[in-house]
Amino acid sequence: MKFLPYLLKHLRRNWFRTTLTVLAISLCIFLFCTLQSVLAQINVLLDGTSAKRLVTRNSVSVVFDLPMAYASRIQSMPGVERVAMTNWFGGFLPARKEGKAEDSSTTDWSNYFPNLAVELEPFLAMYPEYQIPPDQYQALLADQRGCVIGRKLADKFGWKLGDTFYLESFIPVHRKPDGPFEFVVRAIYDVDPAKYPGTNTNWMLFSRKYLYEGTGQTLRAGTYYVEVRDADKAGPIAAAIDGLFENSDAQTRTETEKAYTASFVAMAGNLALLLNGIGVAVTFTILLVVANTMSIAVRERRKEIGVLKTLGFTSRQVMGLVVAESLLIAAIGGLLGIAGSRGIMWLLTNTPGIKDALAGIGLSEISLQPLVAVLGLGVAVFLGFAAGFVPALGAYRARITDMLRTV
Amino acid sequence: MAMVDVRNVTKVYRRDAEELVVLNGLSLQVQEGDYAALMGPSGSGKSTLLNLIAGIDKPTSGDVVVAGTNVAQLGETELASFRSHNVGFIFQFYNLIPVLNATENVELPLLLTHLSKAERRSRALTALKVVGLADRATHYPRQLSGGQEQRVAIARAIVTDPKVLVADEPTGDLDAKSAHEILDLMGALNKDFGKTIVIVTHDPRAAERARTQHHLEKGVLRD
Repeated sequence: MKFLPYLLKHLRRNWFRTTLTVLAISLCIFLFCTLQSVLAQINVLLDGTSAKRLVTRNSVSVVFDLPMAYASRIQSMPGVERVAMTNWFGGFLPARKEGKAEDSSTTDWSNYFPNLAVELEPFLAMYPEYQIPPDQYQALLADQRGCVIGRKLADKFGWKLGDTFYLESFIPVHRKPDGPFEFVVRAIYDVDPAKYPGTNTNWMLFSRKYLYEGTGQTLRAGTYYVEVRDADKAGPIAAAIDGLFENSDAQTRTETEKAYTASFVAMAGNLALLLNGIGVAVTFTILLVVANTMSIAVRERRKEIGVLKTLGFTSRQVMGLVVAESLLIAAIGGLLGIAGSRGIMWLLTNTPGIKDALAGIGLSEISLQPLVAVLGLGVAVFLGFAAGFVPALGAYRARITDMLRTV
Repeated sequence: MAMVDVRNVTKVYRRDAEELVVLNGLSLQVQEGDYAALMGPSGSGKSTLLNLIAGIDKPTSGDVVVAGTNVAQLGETELASFRSHNVGFIFQFYNLIPVLNATENVELPLLLTHLSKAERRSRALTALKVVGLADRATHYPRQLSGGQEQRVAIARAIVTDPKVLVADEPTGDLDAKSAHEILDLMGALNKDFGKTIVIVTHDPRAAERARTQHHLEKGVLRD
């Protein structure tokens, strides 16, 4: 610790260079932490999927629907246990009340949460992770306006069983002419976090029949959730489903729930690979920049290092000082990067509009995990050590007389 | 007893296949409390000899015994420890650390001791007082004149109370007045504090201040 003031003074020797180096490292760690947090959140989403569940959607895009008649044809296929028709409702709170159809400007985008119209019985049967008390389940099936919400959602809005609320969809075909849909909380689902760590409890599910009838019975199917008996046969069954509708007007694309969720979140390609690739490239580039900076810093101070050794500093101590200086720069940069990453995530998840967009792709709870922050700091320390080691080794090996001779 | 005892020392530098004999079987004694000047033309080996005495270089053969320790036989770490305890080095170009103020520069060798921060600061200020720069304690090297910088460097050299002070052309970069002051100061350190001093110089006026003078030529003494 007694060398710390000495190191800090050195950092101020060329404050502009030090600042740029710190900023370079902080940018690197900022990117690392932010990208890793996005990946971690995506992985949480993907971990909550089951290999036995398939999702069939329109092959063109998820925004195009499918004929309802596909349900029975998929159900009749060998290996299929059950099928549930679903529609992404896209409802927002608090919406207009019944009879106030003319006022559509009160839609509140700030409290968006995922809501899905499903065939309740087969859909919930596919999701054993959703724990619903039997009496609530029966009440849910008995009330067409009934909905089941996750515990987190219930806690967020303070909703209890029997509470009512209104939602109106931003999708025109999901609106009814006489105003928004009214829902009654009939069931609240819980999830065992130890058994199903990635499963969200901020969803709302309600009967697709309610939506179908409310919108004039013109609604087609958004997606089909398909449960297969044997997870190992999910691939061939998915191919068989798509083959079944290959010559129809609405061709399908069937994939595992995990792949569907991943593509829904990422929208394109292998996001994890892309994000990790960016992270590695940035880290390596910054490593070169910092190593170069440290080399210059040490070269500039050859004589000074010679003086330190003359005064009695051992080569190891001098090497330690150089590495410590590099580590100090890296640590400051790392902490700044972590703080920046935390700040941007807070901003994203608390800014109306952005927050809702993130919620739409299941990233509403993105945050800087302690493990990611520690890893970020670890990367910074590694950068500092790697960048400082070679110049420090040069200082270690250099002979005093050669160093003092430096002009 | 000799404070510095150089016995039959040879120093050879090798550059590629070429061998350059800088010191050739040289022997020299400097008694405790002596003030010795090493003189000679450029390339005569006087700075090399000074480096050997200071323990910042090792002889190719022979022994260099300083304060009872044969520095030729010490490893790198022991040699560093030897320097910090026994030798104060004064450079021609002062070699102060530009980002540290006078007190911090003087305090630098004390970082290697177990002294507390307050003790280190106290000793550094005392050393600055000895060299007459107590009022410049918080000044940075760029705020000091050449003579003042050299005085700070001398304070840094004496702050650990070393047995031997070695100076490599300490007045070589100073004007006559400042050089005179520095030589007065070194004389006082020798006379009043009993420091053994070995100085390398081209300047006859500096050499005159020393009690003994040794002339080197082509790596051997011509006394």
